[in-house]
Amino acid sequence: MKKSNLKTKLLASITCLSFGFTGLANAGAHSEDVYGPFPVTLKGYSGDCTNTVSYSGQIARHVQHDSLKYLSTKGDYDEMNAYYSGSDKNKQIWAPASKEGFPIKQILLNDISSGKNLSGKTYKGTITAWPNNMTGPEVIDFWMSKAESNPKDVSVGLNYQQLISKFIMGAVFYNQAVDNYLDEKMEADTKPNDKPYKDGACYTGKEHSWDEAFGYWGAAAHSLLLSAEQNYNVAKKKDLASADFNSDGVVDLKSEYVFAHAYYASSFDKGGKTSYLEDITRAFLNGRKLITSANGEKLTDAKRSELMGYVSIISDNWEKVIAESVFKYAGSTYKSLVALEDVTNADLPKEFDKYMKYWGELKGFSMALQVGKDNIGETGTKLNRMVGFGPMLLDETQIVGIDVNGNYVMDKIYSMNDAKLHMLKIQKLMIDQFGIEARANDMLSDMADLASKIGTSESAEND
Amino acid sequence: MEIFFDIFQNLVDQFTNPKKRVFILYLFISILIAAGWLILHKKKSLKESIKFIFNPKVFFSKSATSDYKVFFINQVIMLLISPHLLTQITIATALYFFFFEISFLDMGLFATTPKYVIISLFTLTHFIVDDFSKYIVHRWMHRWPFLWALHKVHHSATNLTPMTVFRTHPLEGLVFTLRSAFAQGLTISTFVYFFAGGVDLYTVLGANLFVFLFNVFGSNLRHSHIGIRYWRWLEYILISPAQHHLHHSVAKEHYNKNYGAALAIWDWVFGSLHHSEDTETLTLGLGTNDDQKKHSLKELYLIPFVESFKFLKRNFKSIFLFKKIKKNKSEIYYEKFPQ
Ligand SMILES: [Zn+2]
Repeated sequence: MKKSNLKTKLLASITCLSFGFTGLANAGAHSEDVYGPFPVTLKGYSGDCTNTVSYSGQIARHVQHDSLKYLSTKGDYDEMNAYYSGSDKNKQIWAPASKEGFPIKQILLNDISSGKNLSGKTYKGTITAWPNNMTGPEVIDFWMSKAESNPKDVSVGLNYQQLISKFIMGAVFYNQAVDNYLDEKMEADTKPNDKPYKDGACYTGKEHSWDEAFGYWGAAAHSLLLSAEQNYNVAKKKDLASADFNSDGVVDLKSEYVFAHAYYASSFDKGGKTSYLEDITRAFLNGRKLITSANGEKLTDAKRSELMGYVSIISDNWEKVIAESVFKYAGSTYKSLVALEDVTNADLPKEFDKYMKYWGELKGFSMALQVGKDNIGETGTKLNRMVGFGPMLLDETQIVGIDVNGNYVMDKIYSMNDAKLHMLKIQKLMIDQFGIEARANDMLSDMADLASKIGTSESAEND
Repeated sequence: MEIFFDIFQNLVDQFTNPKKRVFILYLFISILIAAGWLILHKKKSLKESIKFIFNPKVFFSKSATSDYKVFFINQVIMLLISPHLLTQITIATALYFFFFEISFLDMGLFATTPKYVIISLFTLTHFIVDDFSKYIVHRWMHRWPFLWALHKVHHSATNLTPMTVFRTHPLEGLVFTLRSAFAQGLTISTFVYFFAGGVDLYTVLGANLFVFLFNVFGSNLRHSHIGIRYWRWLEYILISPAQHHLHHSVAKEHYNKNYGAALAIWDWVFGSLHHSEDTETLTLGLGTNDDQKKHSLKELYLIPFVESFKFLKRNFKSIFLFKKIKKNKSEIYYEKFPQ
């Protein structure tokens, strides 16, 4: 603590000394920190487009996800599926919807973009975190059909709303961004920067691929001008002034709202220990500026490798945001397990409902963590084993499989005490594997606090 | 660049962090205690006392000079290896999980204990467990030839100064770090598991209250030329500076005595206690004929490796088959500390 303070102070003063003047020159240049507009760089383009930034398809999917989340407690499969698999009707935006003091510009999905769906963009690989070797879209479909009859199934402990929402954020947004747009589409010969993304477009292959990834991230175009707290309040529809960047009195979902993992990042960052939202959003912005600076030419190897540096910042921190969420909900689930131990009969339904919600979030985020660019290997296996297919019920049974009719198979495979221990071990696993820092609901913080109070155990001293 | 900064910072930290032995305030208080002892007990004048305390023959001796070098070099070495060492938190977490899996160990069993009792108990236990583990490990350092080869570096000091505390072979430093991690990990995990939320530490300037007291009451004089003695009864409980000086003595009757760090109780219980004597007559070091040649960096860093390794190689079988090691074989490495 003491040490790092000293270091920070010294480094800060050195930085101040050497960059004092540059810093002054940059003050007030706010629009530099906004994602867009960016000019046309494409050679030979003759249309009337002036701003090449476009990620409305991604925003449409965020809105489909939010609306699906809203509908997943209402028990109508077809309605849910209209938002998941797309619909030829111009559907209503259920969420985020206007509320008192927070008017939203768009009312219908086509006000943003038409013809989009989530199903086509859901991770197609096998989901080992769920029984019966289903693909991503199959898992979502299975959950939606279960949610139709019983959105919160107390008999097995599943809260489908949480499962569907948290998994989609990973299997669509995170996966599409880090495993597709920032991966394959950043390769030298794919979607090159000296050609339009598709025929007739005013943006280049690289420009648009980058913008699509940014869209999936979910930050507002002006998120860098806001504090973590303000970004958080925008997502909570509590701070119109912060959201309404162009001061037209309404919140434009296409650029002024904070969605999905960007929102979760802000929730951790406002604790002050991390800066995920800022780091990721800044890397996106710097990467976009770099591509723009290529001026419609193919990216040189040097530029592309600089760009890949931004990609690593984005992928690594995004993964951490999800790992922080796993950590947080493992902590909540642990607390719920303790609370359920001596809960009164009157409080049981309420407590159990919380428990199902927390476990659902834990499961959804832990599945999201496994659909990134890299296979997290053994960490995933351990995580799946410790989280399980369903929360442990009070009679110590839990879901162990799904039978041929699609019914859950329940069994007793370990004790309540083991279930609690698993939550603690999941927290440790997230720290060890992903080096997370925010650590909300840290169940082992007492020990870490004592250890740091006592001081380092390093000692080359002969008393 | 970064590494030089870290080294510099670690060096500064040793003197500015109240959790460290040579924190500037502790050194200053030690001087006051030494002066008090010389004036009141030894009936020296203030001037004589000051001259005696800051004796350049001690602080610029070959022995002391090598202490300073070792201090500096070890800072660098520890900085490089410490990120790879087992920490107290790793051990605490592992033990906590282990307790969890034993069904009859109820978590939070004593959670209703008043908070001040928990904190007092933790503060005291941490100090006692730490001190006891130091005693045990120090004893091994003298009893096991391959460890003695390392610990000899510390005992090769022919003058004691507060900086002699750092005169430690890096491998020995590794053993000490593990000891500290285990002692702390054990105390932390046990308390947090059984007392749940209320565990805390009473501190002064950030240091454990008892560690602070130990340091304020002249821990730095343990390695010094000021042979402060306690009352006979107190030397059963706390190790006086003079008692520790005796641990460094070359005299046969002082071999393997006073292993304790702060508490003398362990020496008393396990039969290694020796009361202090007039330390001005003590000769310090290993007691070989060429003790003054033991201050080179080669002797301090390289030879211990070689000796320790040679011993392990020669006695590989006996050690791993738990056979009694033949005395005559190990004796050469014991030099003046035979069993
Ligand atoms: Zn010794």
